[in-house]
Amino acid sequence: MRRAGIASVVFVATFAALGFLALPVVAIFARVSPARLFAQLGNPIVTDALLVSLKTTLVANALVLVLGTPAAWVLASRRFRGRSLLVTLVELPLVLPPAVAGLGLLAAFGRMGLLHTSIPFTQAAVVLAVAFVASPLYVRAAIAAFEAVDANIVAASRTLGAGPTRTFFRVVMPLARGGLVAGAALAFARGLGEFGATIMFAGSLRGVTQTLPLAVYAEFDVNFDVALAVSALLVLISATLLVTLKWLPSASTSRFRFATSS
Amino acid sequence: MRYAAVNAALTIFAAASLTTVFPQIDAKQTYSFAGSNALAAQIRQGAPADVFASANTAIPQQLYAEGLVEKPVVFTRNALILIVPKANPAHVHSVYDLRRKGLKLVVAAPGVPVGDYTRTVLHHLGLDKVLANVVSNEIDVREVLAKVALGEADAGFVYTTDARTVKGKVATIGIRRSAQPVVRYAVAVVTSSTHRAAARAWVKRLLGEPEQKKLVEAGFLRVR
Repeated sequence: MRRAGIASVVFVATFAALGFLALPVVAIFARVSPARLFAQLGNPIVTDALLVSLKTTLVANALVLVLGTPAAWVLASRRFRGRSLLVTLVELPLVLPPAVAGLGLLAAFGRMGLLHTSIPFTQAAVVLAVAFVASPLYVRAAIAAFEAVDANIVAASRTLGAGPTRTFFRVVMPLARGGLVAGAALAFARGLGEFGATIMFAGSLRGVTQTLPLAVYAEFDVNFDVALAVSALLVLISATLLVTLKWLPSASTSRFRFATSS
Repeated sequence: MRYAAVNAALTIFAAASLTTVFPQIDAKQTYSFAGSNALAAQIRQGAPADVFASANTAIPQQLYAEGLVEKPVVFTRNALILIVPKANPAHVHSVYDLRRKGLKLVVAAPGVPVGDYTRTVLHHLGLDKVLANVVSNEIDVREVLAKVALGEADAGFVYTTDARTVKGKVATIGIRRSAQPVVRYAVAVVTSSTHRAAARAWVKRLLGEPEQKKLVEAGFLRVR
């Protein structure tokens, strides 16, 4: 009797949770027919936003990979005072409200900011905003992946005569590949969805700084159909990224873990 | 039971340019400030507003035609002004300086009342080409104000009443009267409101002399 009660509570909770998560996504597709969705994809507002989004997210992700990988390796392989503080710093953008990130970027890189740059309102500003909010997803995954690499194998490589650089590229990187790919894909997906920091730091100009999420917001009260079409497009891209990730054998979820902050 | 409903705070959806003055007129109500077009979109999606105050007449008129609000009334007027950061890094001293290449002009997006007024002003001045210098189409007038006051943009078009709220941070450049658009604010009771009597009373009070005087003190113009 009691076991049946618990089982039914678990069932109802699961059903409610899944339904709650699925409903808004389903609703977007229920309100826009595939034909109309397809027709709106040719809308120049949509194509411009798609190009801006892809370009800025790709560049931002490249930056995150190039700078984040060595940083993750250092944080994963060295134990030093202040390490956990640095890991926390890396993770902070993950929990920071995007509006705070936008304000911080303005305070740092604005014309009247600490560094006095003329970056605001340019495509570079979108890249910085995306890199700032998306980097923790990659760096955290990379730290976890590097930590999972067996130290004995690294030591063996070194005793067999391989230098640290060669060991890193021929031994560590291939072993950590799964986690790195998973982290990069998640960072890319998060970057595509960036909104708050971008609108504050980069503004919104079609073909320059108006990304897909900004187009959704701009079109919401002008042309609801376009907003729906762009939303549907974002759902499809994000879902495709996640599904691809699950199918990649080297990036299976069992290999994907988050970094410990100790 | 009815009295409780009447005494409850009204939810008033108001144009972003009313952000400072409405709480000064009546601090007891609950306000939601945004671009009038965004507020209209929210009302269309069923947002629980009692009163809608728009920075133009076209948007409430449209909602009235759709049966979403009662008949709108014009309650105040405004005018546009060009603002530059106090330091004026781009040395803008007249609207014609906006033609300079590379200048960072921030305006509100088309569809936002002040965005449409801005384009009208530029058209009246024969300065349509200045739009090539726009670096961002903002979602409401206060975003334009913030980006100029912060010093990040070289210039922006706002209402004269907005410029007064950031005195000391921006310098203003007037726009000649013949180039000014007709900026009239209309207010309407939302049809789906559960406090329609109180909402109507609030709108009536807004048209009364004490409230009108406060609007004028804030820089708004009397309805002619």
